[in-house]
Amino acid sequence: MAPKLPLKARLEHSENVAGGTAVQDHDAHHSSGPLRWLLTTNHKEIGTLYLIFSLTMFLIGGAMALVIRLELFQPGLQLVRPEFFNQMTTMHGLIMVFGAVMPGFVGLANWMVPLQIGAPDMALPRLNNFSFWLLPVAFLLLLSTLLMPGGGPNFGWTFYAPLSTTYAPPSTTFFILAMHMAGISSILGAINIIATILNLRAPGMRLMDMTLFVWTWLITAFLLIAVMPVLAGVITMMLLDINFGTSFFNAAGGGDPVLFQHLFWFFGHPEVYIMILPAFGIISVIVPAFARKPLFGYASMVYATASIAILSFLVWAHHMFSVGLPLIAELFFMYTTMLIAVPTGVKVFNWIATLFRGSITFETPMLFALAFIVLFTIGGFSGLMLAIAPADFQYHDTYFVVAHFHYVLVPGAVFSIMAAVYYWLPKWTGHYPDECLGRWHFWLSVIGVNLLFFPMHFAGLAGMPRRIPDYALQFADFNMASSIGGFLFGFSQLLFVWVVIKCVRGGVTAPAKAWDGATDLEWSVPSPAPLHTFETPPDLRRVAG
Amino acid sequence: MRKTYVLAALITGLAGLERNALANGWNMPVGVTEVSRHVHGLHMTIFWICVVIGAVVFSVMFYSLFRYRRSKGAQAANFHEHTTVEIFWTAIPLLILVAMAIPATATLRHMYDASEADLEVMVTGHQWRWHYDYVGEDVGYFSNLTTPREQIDGTQAKDANYLLEVDQPLVLPVDRKVRLLMTSSDVIHSWWVPDLAVKKDAIPGFVNEAWTRIDEPGIYRGQCAELCGKDHGFMPVVVHAMAQDEFDAWLAERKQEAAAAASGVDRNWTLPELMERGEQVYGSICASCHQPEGQGLPPTFPALVGNQALLEDLEGHIDTVVNGVAGTPMPAFSGTLNAVDIAAVITFERNAWGNDTGDIIQPSTIQAQLSP
Amino acid sequence: MWGVVKSVLAAFFGVQKERQRQHDFSEGKPVAFIMTGIVLAVALVIAILLVATLASR
Repeated sequence: MAPKLPLKARLEHSENVAGGTAVQDHDAHHSSGPLRWLLTTNHKEIGTLYLIFSLTMFLIGGAMALVIRLELFQPGLQLVRPEFFNQMTTMHGLIMVFGAVMPGFVGLANWMVPLQIGAPDMALPRLNNFSFWLLPVAFLLLLSTLLMPGGGPNFGWTFYAPLSTTYAPPSTTFFILAMHMAGISSILGAINIIATILNLRAPGMRLMDMTLFVWTWLITAFLLIAVMPVLAGVITMMLLDINFGTSFFNAAGGGDPVLFQHLFWFFGHPEVYIMILPAFGIISVIVPAFARKPLFGYASMVYATASIAILSFLVWAHHMFSVGLPLIAELFFMYTTMLIAVPTGVKVFNWIATLFRGSITFETPMLFALAFIVLFTIGGFSGLMLAIAPADFQYHDTYFVVAHFHYVLVPGAVFSIMAAVYYWLPKWTGHYPDECLGRWHFWLSVIGVNLLFFPMHFAGLAGMPRRIPDYALQFADFNMASSIGGFLFGFSQLLFVWVVIKCVRGGVTAPAKAWDGATDLEWSVPSPAPLHTFETPPDLRRVAG
Repeated sequence: MRKTYVLAALITGLAGLERNALANGWNMPVGVTEVSRHVHGLHMTIFWICVVIGAVVFSVMFYSLFRYRRSKGAQAANFHEHTTVEIFWTAIPLLILVAMAIPATATLRHMYDASEADLEVMVTGHQWRWHYDYVGEDVGYFSNLTTPREQIDGTQAKDANYLLEVDQPLVLPVDRKVRLLMTSSDVIHSWWVPDLAVKKDAIPGFVNEAWTRIDEPGIYRGQCAELCGKDHGFMPVVVHAMAQDEFDAWLAERKQEAAAAASGVDRNWTLPELMERGEQVYGSICASCHQPEGQGLPPTFPALVGNQALLEDLEGHIDTVVNGVAGTPMPAFSGTLNAVDIAAVITFERNAWGNDTGDIIQPSTIQAQLSP
Repeated sequence: MWGVVKSVLAAFFGVQKERQRQHDFSEGKPVAFIMTGIVLAVALVIAILLVATLASR
């Protein structure tokens, strides 16, 4: 949103530069055939690759979740052994975090950041290609550990030492290598996004004229560069402990298992915000478009995002309230954690103030965005409860925590990605996604996701620890409901795949400005967006004055 | 007037719902200690704060969605800023949180004051059982899951305490401040009993501290809360709280048993005696990793049946069980099993499942290694 | 100087006037804001640490 630039002038002006026309000659020196997708340096094609990869990983990680839910459908061990169950919970977490959500957001950034700032491409196109192709290699390696002797990683996605070092299966070295590659990919992607946003904005576009999606991604990219090296460091220390006889995390050799947790969560907590800040950006773009009203408190939103980013480095030990921190540390991290709720709350209030006195319609992207606001807020509430350290002793490592972070990640991050896909599909494909199927997908997902995750609050409060393949009888009803919800949610996503395929193949033709309330720069280029856009940057200076 | 009635009815209804949820095991238990009641109070306070904020926020949101539909001809306003409102809605949550932080800090300070305890118990996590040691009393024992395999696999009906039952619970006196010292012999575990509101990680190389003072005699059940490997879901915690005199009697009895066990060290044991005892020890301690038939789970847990390297090296076998193997999951049992049990289990392993070495290891041999 | 501090504090609080923002972005030097931000972030950490120390006594 750029309150200073009157929308009409911007779009009119952009039509003058005609981003995306007369570019056919470029395709002449574009690789064709099977190598085309391997060698492409085009931000739109790489964005598409990222999104396809993310969707594939989402389905694989989802299938693992269904194995977990099937085993937990009833008490007792029916389907899998505990060894395999632990591999499923670990792989599900790793794949969803590093394979589905993060690449999903990077894919959206690849597609939309250049279009929203009027840039012809990403700043570093070859690096872009490299950072994508690291991912399939990393995740093939990660998945292949499941077939190795002793099985794949079975120590949870947080891989606490010494369970992940001294007591880990032999395949852990490959897991470390895979994580290194995924980490390098993230760092390179982040560098590219920062370089693009800081250098390639259209003339006249100031930082405070950028959309919230670009802003949140800029801040996220800085977070990525700050914390991914910490992850790289901690897995390297694991590698040394496992293969070279060091004792970073081995108490018998004078090491410190708690050090692992400090390092991991110093990476891990900002990582949580890496997975939610771009979602805030998406919602801040979609809500104004369908409320036909500028975003309320744009400046505050940017400032709140920056606040959250800074505070995210000061709260990590709230994941470790039960490890026996000194009292003063418990208090410090409890206070900072409670503080971080404030800027997060401000964002929710701003979205609602944007809705207030708007002119609201309920197309599929808006439905997902609205569900995001409600369900993410519920996840925020349970987060606030978890911040209260004395109560956290009872919540910690139970299904209450599982419910909390799934509420912020699934109807949070994942719903925002789906909202973004429905919102931008007309720009990508030139067709509107099927509205009727979209609504079916939305309602089935919303019902499924709540049936899946809401009962987990009760199971956790009643005392069910997380990461167990079998449970006491009093948790049976909650788990049965969750499993039914899980299957409903899981299979509804096939509908999503179908909507996307259908939209790519045809449908109602979309004009350049596919949503009448949309105001950002991407809607000034034709739909579908041609391979090359904004080769002559739109000059926003004259209209900005 | 009518509005007040509706509000009163709503509040009564919600309060009733809360009590009902508690009775049906949908909510955090109130528990049986002063701390657990405080924690439950904090939990309900922050919960109701969230409910009220949620009700206000979502009401405004759904009102806006309903009232300003374009299909009803709503025209969009164009405001996008209101500093006063923004300061207002930032400051109010901040004040609520400060108000919440005060009782939370008080409870936390109370929880951290483990001084002046009447009794100390060392709690050691092992893959996958708990070991309790009454400090200064010479009484220590493992606490193993007793739920039979058949119930887990579904060939037998599950009983009421499925997965939450052990052979020997931790026995504590009521109305006494008990300090719990937590550590681990292998990976990180977490000792948790919801009714006591105690959850503390048991970390190898560290000793963590927690305390409890139980108000009511009874049996309280919990589980290991930190993922600790394959059988993480199968290492329950059971606490049996009893009156002080009952507890004293129980402790005296356990001391006698320990003394009797120690006296068995000096006599010569026969093979059938050792095999019988060894089978029991193996079943409760070793079978979870090395499997009931000794086939192990390679590569992490080696097989014992037909393991030539093991069977040819008696000294090495004894050393492995007594001192553990550094850098592997195999723990040292010198501190947790007595000489008779170690001798019996080694004898058993060398003579069971077709490992017919005929070796008989006497407790006195092991005792010599335990007390250098 | 006081204006920069006020703007950074507004950012910490998460609320800022559109007019002030326009002013900051057109007149202010980014380095001044970044340095003030870092200093105030450290001050915030010290302040919370102080409160925690007092509360744990």
